[in-house]
Amino acid sequence: MKIITCYKLVPEEQDITVAADGSLDTNKAAPKINPFDLCAVEAGVQLKSLIEGCSITAMSVGGKALENPKARKDILSRGPDDLTVVIDEKFEQLLPHQTARVLMAAAQKSGFDLIICGDGSGDLYAQQVGLQLGELLGVANINAVSKIISAEPGKLTVERALDNEVEVLEITLPAVISVSADINEPSIPSMKTILAAAKKPVTSLSATELELTEFPALVELVSVIAPEQKARQKIVIEGDDEQQIAQFAEHLRNALN
Amino acid sequence: MSKLSNIWVFSDIASRLPEMIAAGVALGEKVSTFVIGTEADINAAFSYGATHVYYLGDKDSQKITEDYSHTMAQTISAAAENTLMLLAPTKRGKALASKLGVQLQAGVVNDVIEISIEDGIRAKHMAYGGLAIAEEKINSPVAIITLSSGAYEVQAADTARTGEAVSVAFVEPASTIKCVERRAKQGESVNLGKAKRVVGVGNGIGSQENLQVAAELSALMGAELGCSRPIAETEKWMERERYIGVSGVMLKPEIYFALGISGQIQHMVGALGSQTIFAVNKDKNAPIFQYVDYGIVGDVNKIMPALISALKA
Repeated sequence: MKIITCYKLVPEEQDITVAADGSLDTNKAAPKINPFDLCAVEAGVQLKSLIEGCSITAMSVGGKALENPKARKDILSRGPDDLTVVIDEKFEQLLPHQTARVLMAAAQKSGFDLIICGDGSGDLYAQQVGLQLGELLGVANINAVSKIISAEPGKLTVERALDNEVEVLEITLPAVISVSADINEPSIPSMKTILAAAKKPVTSLSATELELTEFPALVELVSVIAPEQKARQKIVIEGDDEQQIAQFAEHLRNALN
Repeated sequence: MSKLSNIWVFSDIASRLPEMIAAGVALGEKVSTFVIGTEADINAAFSYGATHVYYLGDKDSQKITEDYSHTMAQTISAAAENTLMLLAPTKRGKALASKLGVQLQAGVVNDVIEISIEDGIRAKHMAYGGLAIAEEKINSPVAIITLSSGAYEVQAADTARTGEAVSVAFVEPASTIKCVERRAKQGESVNLGKAKRVVGVGNGIGSQENLQVAAELSALMGAELGCSRPIAETEKWMERERYIGVSGVMLKPEIYFALGISGQIQHMVGALGSQTIFAVNKDKNAPIFQYVDYGIVGDVNKIMPALISALKA
């Protein structure tokens, strides 16, 4: 079985700062693998351990951050056998319907039985790429997969945790599934897997090689701005002697009643 | 704001339908609702303000709701007009939204908190785990949106209202997903997002033993206990479902009480929806004090027991 696990590099959200004008500054935020996609990779690795003759290709689309050797080693140290990246300057800020089109071209070129994506990414959290990719490829596709129950040639059985119910689904391969964050606890790469990652093959493709000309801008991103803060009372008592605590407790009691 | 001539609406969960229809009524002249279910479900759609119902038949245990995407896409494209489809922001709603997006070559935006129809359709949604609001403009003739709760006021049901109901034939999907079992989900252990009062615990709490004291204070307040990311992820003192902030829970309580939390924006985005914010922290320069209604600068070890006795009194 040939598995592709897709991932996106996103800025480390703990290091994003908000400027006075509400814009986000991601300059100090190093790119990291989107946490949801770590679950997708782990799901692929677990599946591989169950099936003989299984290979995993990690795949990503984006700008020059994907050239970074550390980021490449990071994804490969988590278990994929090889890596395919599609890099182009104009892929820097793709919206999901565009990402899905690039991934479609790359997946068609490499071939696949199963593509595993995360349900969303930590930046725009659009939650569309896996589903749109599957739909564009014309294969079975579904989101919110919370467990892979079994895999056999041509068929996958999964559990899907929805808002109010759980479904068990039989999916005919080829297919694209998007997994939820609770599907597994991604394992931490060991020194051995990190060292081995450096030797794994990497294929770098360009937009031209995939014959991707202009694709539609069904949606455009207008702005990304921090929301305005609500006005607060800002009554701050300095000191924790008995009387000061009593004063604070009074405010709390008033609010509770 | 200008209105569209027709809005399409669907919710896979009955309780979310009134709000979707309310949004349809606010944004469109006609509100066409897809219904899967019984006659009672059709009547319910009319009672909430749907002007047209497109009936897709009874619930079928063999089918998954996503199998109806081709049926919906064909019905929408047959109408040949610039339009908007609104879906509930559930997992199924999002799956349908993306499938319809490809089938109708339509732009999709999920978890939308605000829609405007001025110069095309614009939609706002949270990005970067709540740090920012992204605004997107949909350029395609059909726009597809899953709409978050709370954006539109639900109209009271009026059983006197009726409309036109049309049966739609099922269009067999090309994909092959078979539902072999369906069961109710086990109840969630904690839903901080719906709690009226929340106590959040951060690194300043000092020790795991102190969590007991915080829990006692929280119980006295009738609050749920939550925490900052390091407490859940580094210390692992509390479950991941309890961490508040970016990529964690977003709160909307009446009272949020932060204990030993410094107040980095990554935590605060999860708490800023609170009506009133209280905080205890020993550092008077901690960013938390910029966001509070009432704060006290001092030692949690001293303040927590004192508050417990005060609340018991």
